[in-house]
Amino acid sequence: MQEELFTSGRNIPHIDPFLQIWHWPISLYLFLGGIAAGILFFAAVFYVLGKEKEYPAAVKFASIIPPIALSLGLMALLYDLTHKLYTWQLYTTFRIQSPMSWGAWVLMVVTPLSFMWLFSYYAEIYPKTEEKLQLLKKFKFLATFEQFIKTNRIYIAYALIPLTLVLGVYTGILLSAFNARPLWNNAILGPLFLTSGLSTGAAAIILMAKTKKEKHLFGKIDLALIIIELALIVHMIMGYYAGSQVQLEAMQLLVGGDFTLMFFGFVVILGLIVPATLELIELIGYKVPVIVPAMLVIVGGLIFRFVMVEAGQLTRFLY
Amino acid sequence: MVIDTLKCVGCSDCVVACQTENDVPIGFCRDWITETVNGSYPNLDLELKSERCNHCDNAPCVRCCPTGASHIAEGGIVMVTANECIGCGACIESCPYDARYQHPDGHVDKCTFCHHRLEKGQLPACVSVCPTKCMYFGDLDNPNSEVSQLLKNRKHKTLAPEAGTNPHVFYLI
Repeated sequence: MQEELFTSGRNIPHIDPFLQIWHWPISLYLFLGGIAAGILFFAAVFYVLGKEKEYPAAVKFASIIPPIALSLGLMALLYDLTHKLYTWQLYTTFRIQSPMSWGAWVLMVVTPLSFMWLFSYYAEIYPKTEEKLQLLKKFKFLATFEQFIKTNRIYIAYALIPLTLVLGVYTGILLSAFNARPLWNNAILGPLFLTSGLSTGAAAIILMAKTKKEKHLFGKIDLALIIIELALIVHMIMGYYAGSQVQLEAMQLLVGGDFTLMFFGFVVILGLIVPATLELIELIGYKVPVIVPAMLVIVGGLIFRFVMVEAGQLTRFLY
Repeated sequence: MVIDTLKCVGCSDCVVACQTENDVPIGFCRDWITETVNGSYPNLDLELKSERCNHCDNAPCVRCCPTGASHIAEGGIVMVTANECIGCGACIESCPYDARYQHPDGHVDKCTFCHHRLEKGQLPACVSVCPTKCMYFGDLDNPNSEVSQLLKNRKHKTLAPEAGTNPHVFYLI
């Protein structure tokens, strides 16, 4: 039996709460970054495959989401920084061992690319807005710029495929690099967050899709990703189970602890198993409104980020 | 740094000395005392010790820092450059000893082993005030230094060695 008391220092009211310093902006950003990476990945892949006309939602219509998601996510990140005036310091160096440095640089490239991707389709997907605003006619340089992106779209797509994968993986590696937090400190978090990001991205494309063919294809993709995600979650739990004492204690939070209902109820069952079943039923031929599984996947992905960020900070080596 | 847990009485003098010397804002601290009771009643064993940044060799805070504000200075002391720190909190999350905090000015702050005093040839404030002389500070690379001799002759431990950080604060037990 071991008991530990603090006689000074840590029982000063501001200290311990301050150790839990990552709150909703981080969880929200990890979700938004994941979904943006997912959508852009599918957009780029289907464009490279030359399926632009067959799957317009994936390539064109859903491209409105990533720029908005990334902008909101970046605002959340900036809001979370406490020394905001020095943010530029991120871009004076590249630290190969720091996942956050990787993230900062990848976002620096992906965010403008996502805006360019949307802008290249702007006239095509919002013809009414363009008719009213006449942006491309009024400003010659915009028209030139649009023409330039349109001709170079394939290069943007080639660049986006690896970059979005790095973006998706980094949201997980960001957490798993912290060896002080046993719940986060496992290598599976990178692929898990990537899969979750791609799956929420596919769900968002389902929501934007108009044709049955496209909804079906992305239903299948989403189903496959959910199955991979479930397998990765099993691996994650097994990793804790075979891990050291601190990891066993960390696992207790998810399995039979404060976060069990949130994790198994809302993430695993409502966010993965139920939508997977619904998508399967729909693929077999029964009529299921696709909005239901798609929304469940997206909300499940959001709750998953919140659970991992909040629970991870409760786990530590000492005390 | 070597700290003798058998001599420490948990008076918190080191905490106050540090707060005074380093102008630590009220409500925060760079070092603190822990009181650990081991065993089950009536066979109890009490251990008192002063804790702080362990100035690790394999410092996770330095590894995770995206700007290089956290760095290992000459002599192995882990330092934070305030005007390079963006206050992202990655280092706070990565420290197994919870040795860092966010200064009200925004940047992250922690124990520096009183770097400014060492440059003048003085001991860190906590070491110099300890009334039981339970703290020792010196060069671990020099086999003849007081700290090296203590570690050679006495049983000692480090905190959370399983975290793989290779800490540089040793506790005599």
